[in-house]
Amino acid sequence: MKVGFLYSLIRKEEKLLIDEFGQHSDVELVMLDDRKLIFDLQHRLDVDVVLERCINHSRAMHGLRILESTGVRCVNTAHVASICGDKLLTSLALHDHSVPQPELRVAFTEESALEAIEQLGYPVVLKPAVGSWGRLLSKVNDREAAESILEHKTILGSYHHSVFYVQEYIDKKGRDIRSFVVGDECIAAIYRSSEHWITNTARGATATGCPVTDEIAEISLRAATAVGGGVLAVDLFETPQGLLVNEVNYTMEFRNSIATTGVNIPGKIVSFLVAPGR
Amino acid sequence: MAECPVCGAEVPLNDDTVASELMECPDCGTELEVLDTDPLTLGEAPESEEDWGE
Repeated sequence: MKVGFLYSLIRKEEKLLIDEFGQHSDVELVMLDDRKLIFDLQHRLDVDVVLERCINHSRAMHGLRILESTGVRCVNTAHVASICGDKLLTSLALHDHSVPQPELRVAFTEESALEAIEQLGYPVVLKPAVGSWGRLLSKVNDREAAESILEHKTILGSYHHSVFYVQEYIDKKGRDIRSFVVGDECIAAIYRSSEHWITNTARGATATGCPVTDEIAEISLRAATAVGGGVLAVDLFETPQGLLVNEVNYTMEFRNSIATTGVNIPGKIVSFLVAPGR
Repeated sequence: MAECPVCGAEVPLNDDTVASELMECPDCGTELEVLDTDPLTLGEAPESEEDWGE
């Protein structure tokens, strides 16, 4: 079996996946550096499947779309990448599948965004629709801050900051949950804890093991199905009303989650990819 | 061993080091990328871009 490995850089996660592929003597790994690839629209890459591990969302989404158009099976699919790479599209997919999520508003101008914020009530979280690792998130506590941040985004932000994604602020009590879905299984989960309101491990949050309860597994699988399924990391908020889905990530990072969960996450991903009949 | 392009320190590499792998210079802390494995060549890792993430 020939597996294309689409990547930008080899981080800890990619190294662990490459090591896992090395355990499968029947797998030939074809390394595909997205900085060196030149696509045409006819040529089909000589691989059975591609595992996408790009660090750039735009390269992942477009690369996958081209590969699929020539008949190459990709994990995750271009559809999943396009949905998960955009918080608004993710929210729409979750809504369409009745998956619970925080209340949100979307607006396109400074004035309507301010009105949207006041509809939800302070505090709220302003997020760029495209973005990751907790970057450029703003917790907006009052009208003065809202006016200032909206003006800065309008004047200084790139064009996609003109879509204002406003999310209800959830008091997470210092932690959220990151669950890992591979195919039709929720394989593991971690708590991400921080004194800061942003609990991304990329921003210094601490990962600890979280038991995969029936509730976590159920909502994680529903969220994964909503965005198209595959290999996904689901961010969950704990609330008195139950779990809410915050985000779904399609090129998931897991370096801090193997020892903490005791689950061989890269092994599960590789097994899913090379499973007979897939 | 390869040389850090920023501070000139010797950077230890493993046998399974691959091209495009990221690592940190133990002396100056610069994030580095393996540009080539034969001969072993290091460069500064790319700067983070706006659409980087997971």
